[in-house]
Amino acid sequence: MSVVWDLALPQVCGLGLHLCLDGFRLVYICIAILMWTVSGVFSKEYMAHYKNHGRYYGFFWATFAATVGVFLSADLYTTFIFFEIMSFTSYVWVAFDERRESLRAAQTYLAVAVIGGMVMLLGLFLLYDLFGTLEIDRLGGMAKEVLNNREGAADGISKRCGIFPSSAAQLYTAAGLLLFGFGAKAGMFPLHIWLPKAHPEAPAPTSALLSGILTKAGVFGIIVVSMVLFEAEEAWGTLIVALGLITMFLGAFLAVFSINLKRTLACSSISQIGFILTGIGMSCLLKSAGESNALAVRGAFLHMVNHSLFKLVLFLCAGVVFMNLHQLELNDIRGFGRKKPVLAFCFLMGALGIGGIPLWNGYISKTLIHESIVEYMELMGSPSVWKNVEWVFLFSGGMTVAYMLKLFVALFVEKHPQRQAEFDSMKGMNRFSAIALSAAAVILPVLGFAPHLTMDRIADLGQEFFLGAHGHQVSYFSFQNLKGGLISIGIGVVLYVVVVRGYFMEKEAEGKRYVNRWPSWLDLENLIYRPIINAFLAISAVVCRCVDQGIDGIVLLARVTTHSQKPKPRQQHDMNQLAYSLGYMIDRMGDFADRLRLPGKKRAGERKSVIPKLVRREQEIKVTGKLVEESFSFGLLLFCIGLCLTLGYLLAMFWAL
Amino acid sequence: MKLLLPVLLPIFAGILVLLSKGLRKKRTSLTAFAAFILAVEASLVLWAVWEESSVVLFSLTNTLTIAFHVDSIGRLFAVLTVVMWLLVGIYAMAYMKHEHEEHKFFGYYLIVTGILIGLDFSSNLITMYVFYELMTLTSLPLVLHERTKEAVQAGLKYLFYSVAGAFFALFGIFFLASVCSSLEFVPGGVLAGEAVAGKEGLLLTAACCMIIGFGTKAGMFPFHGWLPTAHPVAPAPASAVLSGVITKAGVLAVIRVIYYIIGQDLIRGTWVQTVWVVLSLATVFMGSMLAYKEHVLKKRLAYSTVSQVSYIMFGLSLLEPTAFVGALSHVVFHSIIKNGLFMTAGAIIVTTGWTRVEQMRGLGRIMPFTLAGYTVLSLALVGIPPASGFVSKWYLATGAMASGVGVWAFVGPVVLLISALLTAGYLLPVTIQGFFPGKDFDDSELKKRKLLKREPALFMLGPILLLAAVALLLGCFPGSLIQMVQSIGALAL
Repeated sequence: MSVVWDLALPQVCGLGLHLCLDGFRLVYICIAILMWTVSGVFSKEYMAHYKNHGRYYGFFWATFAATVGVFLSADLYTTFIFFEIMSFTSYVWVAFDERRESLRAAQTYLAVAVIGGMVMLLGLFLLYDLFGTLEIDRLGGMAKEVLNNREGAADGISKRCGIFPSSAAQLYTAAGLLLFGFGAKAGMFPLHIWLPKAHPEAPAPTSALLSGILTKAGVFGIIVVSMVLFEAEEAWGTLIVALGLITMFLGAFLAVFSINLKRTLACSSISQIGFILTGIGMSCLLKSAGESNALAVRGAFLHMVNHSLFKLVLFLCAGVVFMNLHQLELNDIRGFGRKKPVLAFCFLMGALGIGGIPLWNGYISKTLIHESIVEYMELMGSPSVWKNVEWVFLFSGGMTVAYMLKLFVALFVEKHPQRQAEFDSMKGMNRFSAIALSAAAVILPVLGFAPHLTMDRIADLGQEFFLGAHGHQVSYFSFQNLKGGLISIGIGVVLYVVVVRGYFMEKEAEGKRYVNRWPSWLDLENLIYRPIINAFLAISAVVCRCVDQGIDGIVLLARVTTHSQKPKPRQQHDMNQLAYSLGYMIDRMGDFADRLRLPGKKRAGERKSVIPKLVRREQEIKVTGKLVEESFSFGLLLFCIGLCLTLGYLLAMFWAL
Repeated sequence: MKLLLPVLLPIFAGILVLLSKGLRKKRTSLTAFAAFILAVEASLVLWAVWEESSVVLFSLTNTLTIAFHVDSIGRLFAVLTVVMWLLVGIYAMAYMKHEHEEHKFFGYYLIVTGILIGLDFSSNLITMYVFYELMTLTSLPLVLHERTKEAVQAGLKYLFYSVAGAFFALFGIFFLASVCSSLEFVPGGVLAGEAVAGKEGLLLTAACCMIIGFGTKAGMFPFHGWLPTAHPVAPAPASAVLSGVITKAGVLAVIRVIYYIIGQDLIRGTWVQTVWVVLSLATVFMGSMLAYKEHVLKKRLAYSTVSQVSYIMFGLSLLEPTAFVGALSHVVFHSIIKNGLFMTAGAIIVTTGWTRVEQMRGLGRIMPFTLAGYTVLSLALVGIPPASGFVSKWYLATGAMASGVGVWAFVGPVVLLISALLTAGYLLPVTIQGFFPGKDFDDSELKKRKLLKREPALFMLGPILLLAAVALLLGCFPGSLIQMVQSIGALAL
């Protein structure tokens, strides 16, 4: 679907805003409306016991507007403006609870958002300098020109100042900076640190949005950079695939370790973003190899859509738990979901979807991405690197199954050793929330059961934005395609039984309990980022302080040394220092002379000191001196001497001439 | 007459306020008189700048005259000055109730208005220098107002720095007077290339001295030291205008010298440009870093001014049209934002007595509207779109990259962004701990002091909110301002 609506607002916010609506954007606007509606309905019940409703709903809808703005933007300048608004308004969500941990998580969130935003802005500066425009439509062709002429330096900072060797290098730098900025929001490794902290702290309806759609705003930017600027770049594609794989694996790994409901879901978000990134990277790679990249493009886009929908359902289910128990640790919430069919149904749909079980929607998108990896592998002649990539992919899928199984079993199968009766009597949620939640949950199997009717059409709408080629129809349920999914499920079940039940659970008096086996010191933020930033701040603060005090220091130094304004404290003996020192010397000499004489005659100290006498003399001399100095005749005398000298000098000059 | 009136009226009104016993005794009549004069002054200035005009007052010698002339850049600065002066004046009507000897404050406050307008209207370097020195002398009593030991010391420091800076600049004026046929301001410069043939070294030294000398008022390193000392001791309205308007007088002086007398072609690519760029960037970073480490809010804002005014200096130093647009729009934006922020700091002091940032936990419970205004202004200063600081930052950075000043074309934007991060780091904590004091925050202390929900007086809150709104709206719709500034840049560059 091509652009159906286009709105340019020149000069607004400086360069002017430019919005447009095409198929991809339409899909995402619909998802945004769906997500905000469902969480809005759910918020009514969830927020009932909180204060500050005005603040909550104000920022809730402000973020909606900003997010829609991001997805509608037709140039990166507009994207950036709405992106920043979105970051700041969603900050309030994370801090909303005002507990100590929430405030700290919010601090991390804000820091990542602000740093990411500024880095992105630097990337935009470089891009704008290179091309003179940030229109997404026009960037593609210009970037191609630059990349075709690797060594050349077009008009830009690289030519004028020699900072970058070539325009291509400048383009790569700019794209790298943009990737940093968008990746920070998307939760890409190594900038994923805010997700596991912010999600558990934010109110559940907003964590659903944070994870479901705000991260997608970051992914939107990464798509623009990868698909528009580097449509067929092998190096860039490899970078994105590598980051995607690390993110995918690491997120799932963290999720398996986590024993907190929302934290597990947050880590799962990281992992799923990794899947999307892998899809994006694969489409660059396939295109660079001259193949159709339809599989990868459709897989990445559909996984974006799917992930938004899963996380909406799953986080709202977590919200139901928290709303009732105000706890999220698996040990405390065990068995809460028993005898709550609606909750169980919704959670199960989400879990089956995200786990990639055939007939649910996650399976479709994962299969597409998997197929694209296989296609590229065969194209390259199946090198072992790509075999490993495929296994990382399948293994991450397996871990997804394992951690979702862990959550499901904990919530709906196990029993709480003490509070089970109390849990069973709780109602869970009211009717409106139940309707909203089940409506969202029903979508997942609907999409998954009839993929050709539903998901293929969504993909058709969206893929033009990715500049993807139209590909052949995929038979999702052929054996070849089912195999990958089944391997993942198999790995997942084995992992759950062996690792989760074996290693992460400990026997206690009645049954087993979950234990956190993750070493607490192993935290990227506390181990690396905070120390580095603090060291930078400390060192530059010292340097700046020295520089700051420079001029003041010189003035101060002058004041205590050469330009002292305070009169020195005057004391009696200061005035007559000469007399004192002379007298002291004479006295000591006298003492010495006494000591040389025979003992008994005259003792040292009996003799009078000469100092007073000398002081008197000195005073006298000074007074007379002063009188003389002040006298008129003395002046006259000096004048005469001066006159004589001048005369003598003149005479000497004459004589010399 | 049209140009003379806005200069002389506030000066005579100010002298009247200082001398008249009747005004001194009655507070209402004093403030009403001051507000009336400021309003008249604002309309007089608007009338005066409506079209270009000039007037020669008298001649010192054949070539040196004291003369006024309104051109596009003078118009921008004059309008900015009176609007800010009026708003801060309204704020001061409520604020100064809590201080003693109000008549002295208002008297000198009015006098400085006239002097500043004279500075903006100056048509040649000599006139500008005269008003520049007068500005230092008449604004000194605003710093000295409290008469405490610190205030006197700070005032003296302000005086010494300003005078030392002016002497630096005076050397340059002497040199220029010897080589220029006239010292009239002409866009693009009046200095003929052949007049300085063989004296290039001296010319550049003179230019450098003038940049550093006038840069003193703009708080540029190495003579920025007076700002963080003078601001915390002055009453809030005084620190607002010192920071928001008077530092801009230094900026105007530098623009006049470089773009209107010497001409940017003689500076471009020389060591003077490099020194200028490096000094301004160093100041940008140093100011934000020290603000980040500072705990007294007003002092933090003063360091922030050091940093932000050097954004402007950086933009000017690039000698590039886009960066020039960024610099001049930042003059307007920073003036609006910093006046607003200092007014907020003053409102906090008056209501709660708090000066240090860590005391301000839970401020949102006391004055939510004031703090909301502060937040908008802070975001604008950090440069978060769509607030105004972003627009000027965009032009500054893209201008820097287009300017071709070697490695600084890239280092400059990086420093600006690091400084923006630090700006967020020193401004936002007030908002955050104000609105999110934490669950364990105990407001019984506030209740005891009857502080809950106690916004400052309307005359104080109004200007703050107005400036916050303007800071936001100008960021959303900067079109006409940018066009106006672009036309100035097209003439001068």
